[in-house]
Amino acid sequence: MNPTRRDFLIRSAGLAAGACVSAPFLLPKYHVDRRPKRSRVAVLHAERYSQKLDQILAAGLRLFPIDVRGKRVILKPNLVDYAPGDAINTHPLLVLAAAESFRRMGADSVLVAEGPGNQRDTQLVLSQSGYQESLNDEKIRFVDLNRDQLIHTRLRASYTGMTHLWLPRTVLEADFLVSMPKIKTHHWSGVTLSMKNMFGIVPGARYGWPKNILHWKGIQESILDICATVPIHFVIADGVVAMEGNGPLNGTPRHLGKIVLADDQVAADATCGRLMGFDPGSIVHIAVGAKFLGNASPERIEQVAENVLTSRNPFQVVPEFRQLYTGF
Amino acid sequence: MNPDLFLLSDLLAELALRQLPCGGWAALASSSQPALEATCYSTLAVGLAALPSYVAHAQEFLLRTQNPNGSWPAFQGDEQDGAWVTALAVTALRDLVPAIPARLKAFHWLLECVGREGDWFWKWKFRTADRHVRFDPDKFGWPWIPDTLSWVVPTAFSILALNQLPCACGGFEKTPSRVERGIEMLLDRACPGGGWNAGNGVVYGVVVAPHPDDTAIALLALTGRKQDPLVQSALQYLVKTAPTVTAPWSLAWAILALAAYGQGIDSLYKSLIALPHLTKTEDTGTLALACLALDYQRTLSALGVAA
Repeated sequence: MNPTRRDFLIRSAGLAAGACVSAPFLLPKYHVDRRPKRSRVAVLHAERYSQKLDQILAAGLRLFPIDVRGKRVILKPNLVDYAPGDAINTHPLLVLAAAESFRRMGADSVLVAEGPGNQRDTQLVLSQSGYQESLNDEKIRFVDLNRDQLIHTRLRASYTGMTHLWLPRTVLEADFLVSMPKIKTHHWSGVTLSMKNMFGIVPGARYGWPKNILHWKGIQESILDICATVPIHFVIADGVVAMEGNGPLNGTPRHLGKIVLADDQVAADATCGRLMGFDPGSIVHIAVGAKFLGNASPERIEQVAENVLTSRNPFQVVPEFRQLYTGF
Repeated sequence: MNPDLFLLSDLLAELALRQLPCGGWAALASSSQPALEATCYSTLAVGLAALPSYVAHAQEFLLRTQNPNGSWPAFQGDEQDGAWVTALAVTALRDLVPAIPARLKAFHWLLECVGREGDWFWKWKFRTADRHVRFDPDKFGWPWIPDTLSWVVPTAFSILALNQLPCACGGFEKTPSRVERGIEMLLDRACPGGGWNAGNGVVYGVVVAPHPDDTAIALLALTGRKQDPLVQSALQYLVKTAPTVTAPWSLAWAILALAAYGQGIDSLYKSLIALPHLTKTEDTGTLALACLALDYQRTLSALGVAA
């Protein structure tokens, strides 16, 4: 059938819209190419949250040549809000297991730091989600990044057009920053993994709750600028029970039974994306991050522990992100 | 002395110790960076307790940190206007005669500050293309910082601040309409089951849960609408939820709001007093807020809310 004038106009409009969305990401807007030659990712099996996580994680960490002796280690979980029975937050047992492992590995100090994006009462989220009691029991200090001392920080990429952000001193002075996301779909960014998890370091006490300026400047753009500026040294992603659908708050819990460890944030997120049944190349911040922040291509990722099998039953997403399935 | 007075006195002593040499307070005990929100609550708390030297020092700090355009930044050293801290600062300076020009300037700034959905283009976008979050863009209030959307907390604080103006005259003629629109915005953003969160009641067709602190703050701004069904439903949510809350920040806000609506707060008051290690709370804003909740009648009067 010959295309009609109407078809032509619709396709042209589609192309124009696509170009508008992609244009900000076509030109490199980063200062330094930080990609390692090869990255290492370990996918570990963990059927449920239990005391066994300690052993699983310790064994997983031994697959990496990590030296945290004498270092200040910051664990940055994804702690957004609390709803009973939901898979919104990184599970506290995994955070405790990580703290214990890094202490055993000789870290000078290990603390947990987060700035919830939705809830102003950080202590309420901590107590409702089970963190408060666990952290107290293990004498692990928590820093509320929404209210920490701030440093005017020059951004090392310019996808948002912003030149600076005020960022928490605790994070900027960390020797070893571990992003500990919950593996979830996200209704604005497609997925929320180790890179998107860094929104939590942007202080609510300066930018408000939610951190709406990042939405206005572009979520994908903001993720890239923040991750270019604050290096993530390691990733421990909680996919024991993940979330699909209308994440990050109102999605459906989805049992995945995996913990993903990585020495590269882009490699971690690309791998998590594959586990979720998505094409990582269609997730903008992963695709663009693979140009300067880390490796997304399987050829440049050394896979240890379990093999990554693309899910035959991909995670559900909101309709705007159906393109995440297109690679399969 | 009553246990609550003992506690209040300990909390105030701790608050006084945490005042920085510049006169402000940092958000966290471990920080030395003066933060405006913590400073405003602390100034109100030491003011109600009649600790004159601390109050005067704090008020001088507040006057010194005001931006040339009349707004206040979130902390000293920053220049970004912050609507919520501007609203809190005019409240913290309410009794200071030399602060009148600074407050007037701040009221003018608040009247000019609108959420981004107040602009016709964004209004149109939220009506047509971007409808995932259910809200009426005609009903706008105040953003946390300019060039972003209106949210519940800065809108509620701004309403409370503007209600302190004695009349809608002398350049403040727009005040009643801005306040009314802000009230409409709060009602529009309520969660369908009652209460408020940051400002997203329904996203992608799913009802989002309310938060006790956001609900309490919105209720304080809506005492003029006590009979509105949405206000009543938020009140019911807070009455039901507050007894389950163990975090001092939310508990303190709940005490203030429920007292403003004539609800029984004895058990909440006892819960606040019984919280362990309250004086060691790392968050100085929470410490000050606990003082304000323990002295709730005078706090409500300072906020311009009739109990």
